[in-house]
Amino acid sequence: MNTLEYAELFLSESREHVTAVNQALLELERDAEGPRAGACVDEIFRAVHTIKGMAATMGYAVVTELSHELETVLDRARRRELTIDSTVIDILLRAADSLERLVELAVAGREGELDIASLVADLRSLRPMVETAEWSISGLAAANASGGLAVRVRLASDAPLRSVRAMLILKAVGKIAEITSTLPSAADLEADRFDGVLTIQCTGDAPRAEIERVVRAAGDVTTVEFLDATTPAPQPSAPIIERVEPAPVMDEGGVRVAAGRGRHVRIDVRRLDKLMNLAGELIVARGRLLQLASDAGDHALEETVRLSSRLITELRDEITASRMVPVSNVFDRFPRVVRDAARALGKRVDFSIEGRDIELDRSMLDDIADSIVHLLRNAVDHGIEMPEQRVAAGKPAIGNLVLSATRDRSAIVIRVTDDGRGIDRDRVLARAKRDGIIDASKSDLSEDELLRLLARPGFSTAEQVTEVSGRGVGVDAVYTRVRALGGAMNIRSVPGQGATMSIRLPLTLAVVRSLLARVSDEMYAIPLAHVNETIELTPDIVRTVKGKEVVLARDEVLPLIRLRRLVGLPHYAPASAIDLEQVVIIDVGDRRAGLVIDELTGQEEIVVKQFDAVRDGPPFFGGATLLGDGRPCLIVDVSSLL
Amino acid sequence: MSHTVLVCDDAIFMRTMVGDILTQAGFEVIGEAETGVQAVEKYQQLRPDLVTMDIVMPDMGGIDAVREICKLDPNAKVLMCSAMGQQALVVEAIQAGAKDFVVKPFQPSRVLEAVQRVLA
Repeated sequence: MNTLEYAELFLSESREHVTAVNQALLELERDAEGPRAGACVDEIFRAVHTIKGMAATMGYAVVTELSHELETVLDRARRRELTIDSTVIDILLRAADSLERLVELAVAGREGELDIASLVADLRSLRPMVETAEWSISGLAAANASGGLAVRVRLASDAPLRSVRAMLILKAVGKIAEITSTLPSAADLEADRFDGVLTIQCTGDAPRAEIERVVRAAGDVTTVEFLDATTPAPQPSAPIIERVEPAPVMDEGGVRVAAGRGRHVRIDVRRLDKLMNLAGELIVARGRLLQLASDAGDHALEETVRLSSRLITELRDEITASRMVPVSNVFDRFPRVVRDAARALGKRVDFSIEGRDIELDRSMLDDIADSIVHLLRNAVDHGIEMPEQRVAAGKPAIGNLVLSATRDRSAIVIRVTDDGRGIDRDRVLARAKRDGIIDASKSDLSEDELLRLLARPGFSTAEQVTEVSGRGVGVDAVYTRVRALGGAMNIRSVPGQGATMSIRLPLTLAVVRSLLARVSDEMYAIPLAHVNETIELTPDIVRTVKGKEVVLARDEVLPLIRLRRLVGLPHYAPASAIDLEQVVIIDVGDRRAGLVIDELTGQEEIVVKQFDAVRDGPPFFGGATLLGDGRPCLIVDVSSLL
Repeated sequence: MSHTVLVCDDAIFMRTMVGDILTQAGFEVIGEAETGVQAVEKYQQLRPDLVTMDIVMPDMGGIDAVREICKLDPNAKVLMCSAMGQQALVVEAIQAGAKDFVVKPFQPSRVLEAVQRVLA
């Protein structure tokens, strides 16, 4: 275990806990009197308590402070000394937000950047005036200003009865200085609520060296730090974990076992990537082995090879499955997003999630999360109407928004469906005409055309820029991202009844369905996600415009790219007059081009192997793969061609 | 001159073990006690430099014994010997005046470290 891995573990676990906090808060907001209310408060309390413990251990002072304040309020709610009303929920939600951001900042060594003073003040307003053992960073600053001192003491992790040891330390310090407060409080220490880091605020004339001496003399102490008001957060170089090893290089994927988490192992996704690649190579090797075995005519050998072949397939499937996580990992954050967006706009939205258990590749899920947030915000902002407008239109005042995930063969379909006003085709049309994007005579838009227009960078019909969905960023960003992941996107919109945005994603990133293209005797793979159609390159569709070759495809003029030329092969020499070259119409977002190749030889699921591009080499290959017959094949990076 | 020690524990096994650890480290065990009452009596009689005190003993427990001893001698140096899970009792003993603690099962090095701290 090293510092970096601790930090990563802290981050991932804290994120989970913040999500749990948000979920429970929303449940509480819906029904603060209900039978589940007590359980919700308990759950929030436990989650915050755990974050606090971890943060204190990592030396993240601000995270610790905020979670401590939050915990104090929650403890009151738990003991029913505090009534949960909308004011309380609002403050708690704000606190959860800040906690979420702080956790990220803390790991980046920048937790000092977030000012939590007003939030802490609000949290404190929720608890009674009489308080003992106050502790805060602002308190630390005050103590420093008045000549006081804040000391942070870390106890050895293997020390027995650490809370008792902490009390001995307090006793020793108390003899030479006046202790104004401690974290944890004396009461917490007595109840053994202690994670090994003790912070003492004290005043008096005792020099630091003397304080350090008596602290260390109390035993089992590993570090003694004096916190200054100007540097409340620990220095990144400070020993965060006892006996740490030098910081490791980033790319070392490690396997970590999360303590107390049942029979689960946390595995760095990079390690899974490596496993996936290895499995891919095994599959290629298997193909050759099968061929050799059958050529050798040795029955026993062939049988053995067949058996290992089955095992290899199983192995690949298992590795693929191990990269899968339920979409709820990410989706459960969204109720909060929707609620905030709706509140900011004065709208009422009933949001539900379907298919939480559907699984998706971990990296893909992380990559698509922001896009889903865009779509949800768009739906709340532009789709769902204000309550009074809805009532006037004969709809329920509360809008309906559904996020769903379904499995469809080897793809996952994610849909965002609202029952709002739908996309105003006339306005999109008018805007497109004004911008000169489409012909002025056009009177209607197909759903495909609609998507293509909305996906244009900066194309937005929103009347005003709102805080919620920003300026025109949305569909185009989502569209680009989805395509980059090898997926596809669809829009369905019925005026007055709502809209559905669907995103279709492959199950996993490591395997890509590709068209195989031959140029001379070399093979190239073109990811199908970027292939629009293929046509024959007849002389009548090629033109030259301003010295550049273009191709006419379905009334569109597209630039023509000859792969042959790109890779420096000689001119095409057809075997016969009817042996025409092929044009693959490729697209990324709304940029399209025709890619000329000799022949399409088929489709294949290929295992992408990232490779280190030759310095100054051609930039238009995104990786390589080995085909079933063992031939190497470069993968065309379509986006760099366009 | 070596430091003198009074070892208080109701179990012979523990007294022997603590005695051995301390003797090997150059301390002089000048007395043993099996009960709290005995511990107080022997302390008054022997005035050792150090007392090791079990918490749970018949006839006045270790905590009360610490309290009595500290009444006799506010500078008495008492090291509590606790089993796992006796956190609250250790806290109480320290509030009663004990200077430090060790937790069973004893590791000689930990016992000696604690003794050094108490005598420092």
